[in-house]
Amino acid sequence: MGDLLEQLIHGLTLGSLYAMVATGLALMFGVVRLVNFAHGEFYMLGGYAFWFAYGELGLPYPAAGLAAAAAMGVFGLVYERGVIRAILARTWHVQLIATLATSITLTNLAILIFGTQPREVPTRWSSTIVEVAGVRMAWQRLLVLAAAVVIFTGLEWFVTRAKLGRAMRAMSQNREACAVVGVDVQQVALATFGISAALAGGAAALISPLFNIFPDVGALLTLKAFAAVIVGGFGYVKGAIAAAFLIGLAESLAAGYVSYAYKDAIAFVVMVVVLLVRPQGLFGRRIGI
Amino acid sequence: MTRMRQSVMAVAVALALLLVGNPPGARAQGGPPIKVGFASAMTGPSAITGEGVKWAAQMLVDEYNAKGGIMGRKIEAYFGDNAGTPGEAVSAVRKLVDVDKVDVIIGQTHSGACLGALPVVKELQVPMIIEACSNPKIRDLIGKTVNEWAFRVNPDDVMLANQFAKYMSQSTKSVSIFAQNDDFGRGAAAAYDAAFKKVGIKLVSTEFFDRGQADYRPVLTRVKRANPEAVLLVMLASEGSVFMRQFREIGLTQKLYARGSMATVEFLYQVKDSPNIADGLVEATYWTPALDPAWEKQWLERWKVPVRVHGSLAAIAFRYALVPALEQAIKKTGRTDRKAIRDALEDVDVASTPVGRIRFDDTHQAFINMLLVEINGGQLKILEKIAIQP
Repeated sequence: MGDLLEQLIHGLTLGSLYAMVATGLALMFGVVRLVNFAHGEFYMLGGYAFWFAYGELGLPYPAAGLAAAAAMGVFGLVYERGVIRAILARTWHVQLIATLATSITLTNLAILIFGTQPREVPTRWSSTIVEVAGVRMAWQRLLVLAAAVVIFTGLEWFVTRAKLGRAMRAMSQNREACAVVGVDVQQVALATFGISAALAGGAAALISPLFNIFPDVGALLTLKAFAAVIVGGFGYVKGAIAAAFLIGLAESLAAGYVSYAYKDAIAFVVMVVVLLVRPQGLFGRRIGI
Repeated sequence: MTRMRQSVMAVAVALALLLVGNPPGARAQGGPPIKVGFASAMTGPSAITGEGVKWAAQMLVDEYNAKGGIMGRKIEAYFGDNAGTPGEAVSAVRKLVDVDKVDVIIGQTHSGACLGALPVVKELQVPMIIEACSNPKIRDLIGKTVNEWAFRVNPDDVMLANQFAKYMSQSTKSVSIFAQNDDFGRGAAAAYDAAFKKVGIKLVSTEFFDRGQADYRPVLTRVKRANPEAVLLVMLASEGSVFMRQFREIGLTQKLYARGSMATVEFLYQVKDSPNIADGLVEATYWTPALDPAWEKQWLERWKVPVRVHGSLAAIAFRYALVPALEQAIKKTGRTDRKAIRDALEDVDVASTPVGRIRFDDTHQAFINMLLVEINGGQLKILEKIAIQP
């Protein structure tokens, strides 16, 4: 029983990470119909921003976390203006190549700027152990789970109640109609990228104290988040979040009870099975985010 | 006029005698630079190894060129990125040979990359000195009769496992292996499985992980369930720091053995906030900074980070295998083409190096010393130096 609880906690921690990255990916797809293959690198840059703020500047943990999220938010805005806006009207091939090229460029820039030595940013939370129902874990894991609940609740409120959030929902349903009724679609797209990138930065600040930061960390993460977005019903944020937790749990249980080496393969088989049964995704709907 | 003609004749004869009488080596003083290719993982999850190799190469080139090169020939370094994988290793070798036109390659650091590169160096007929690939299969794929172009300085995991298992059996009866899911990890796991049987150690479980993994807790839970007396880690420092934190987080207290780069200053640098986290870990290796303090100091001064194992191993291959081979090739033949370097490598015999004697046998394998290094009080301590017999 303790064993199962342990695997479930791992699964939920991993799921939180995947969900925070997948949410940004789903938001972007929902609003501008573009898959950002550089999204894992946003997480990577967020990790380095957090390392700089916390490890180098010595800011307190909450301030460093917010700084990383804010820095990535600004980066998201720049990325939208510099890369996305130019390719939004182009075919999906061009979008694919442009975002992939950004991903490769960012990874190699990180190697040049930060070097290849993995950065560690242990905090007091990650170094202090707590025992819950016989399972030992760092406080940081509980913080990740709590933060995930707060972030996703806040996001739900934002897209259903806030003016900008509702504009984003509207755009995910009909971009042209939004433009006709006077919604500034370019500004909404810009804000979407800022929010999505800030989410990746926030995820990095929460997770980096547990795991390393290194230039290549985003590659596998993009794949997992992308899988969550597909399983959740393309562009449906709540679906992506649920699917991310499903993938995290499947991976953790596979690693704990079947094979650690093939845990990713098993998680992806689960994804394929879900898509065979429900090709529209687990929660496929016509309405986007 | 006659005196003038006589003088010219005398000078011409003297010049001719000088040229004919001088040994080939003297003729080769000066001349075009020697191009050395360094192949390692410059990108991907193993990029830290390639960065170390690149830094070591830059230090070596500067050092030797400042002394006037090797017998008057300057050294030029070129780099190939194998990303730590067999497929990319093929591209790295082709790039070094076809584009950079290197005379010799040092690399490929990662066993998978080595296995991928071996057929290509044979096809392209370029000598390659392997500095750190320990997969046992390589032994069967190099040598005078199989692939005369490849030479290996480092021992393989069968050689290391037999000695290390004997050491482990003094205090351990059961072990779980946790290894990288690549040719290095799988080769080592198979070697230790066989070695444990010979000394009566029970292998409780073997787990593999992909490099760049974030969370080891699920597999640590499996180790906790299996409850072996010890865990053998086949992993590099870059993964080791996260692994060790989670090992302690979950509350495991098993004795730790390692192969890779755990008992290294690289690892201690990464866990500098908790330097005792891996106290008691013993690693089977063949290089540690204490073997060459001058190199360590030089490295630290230049790069401001602790010396890296894989760069240092590339430096060992350069200094004690390639340089003597080049000197010999120049002295004997006056040439430094690929064939001349390959032939000279077969005759290399340097008795005194920081890692032991470097001399290649007919299988093109050198037999340097094996070390058992322990992390103790956040410091590295050499427990034993064992001569590996052919």
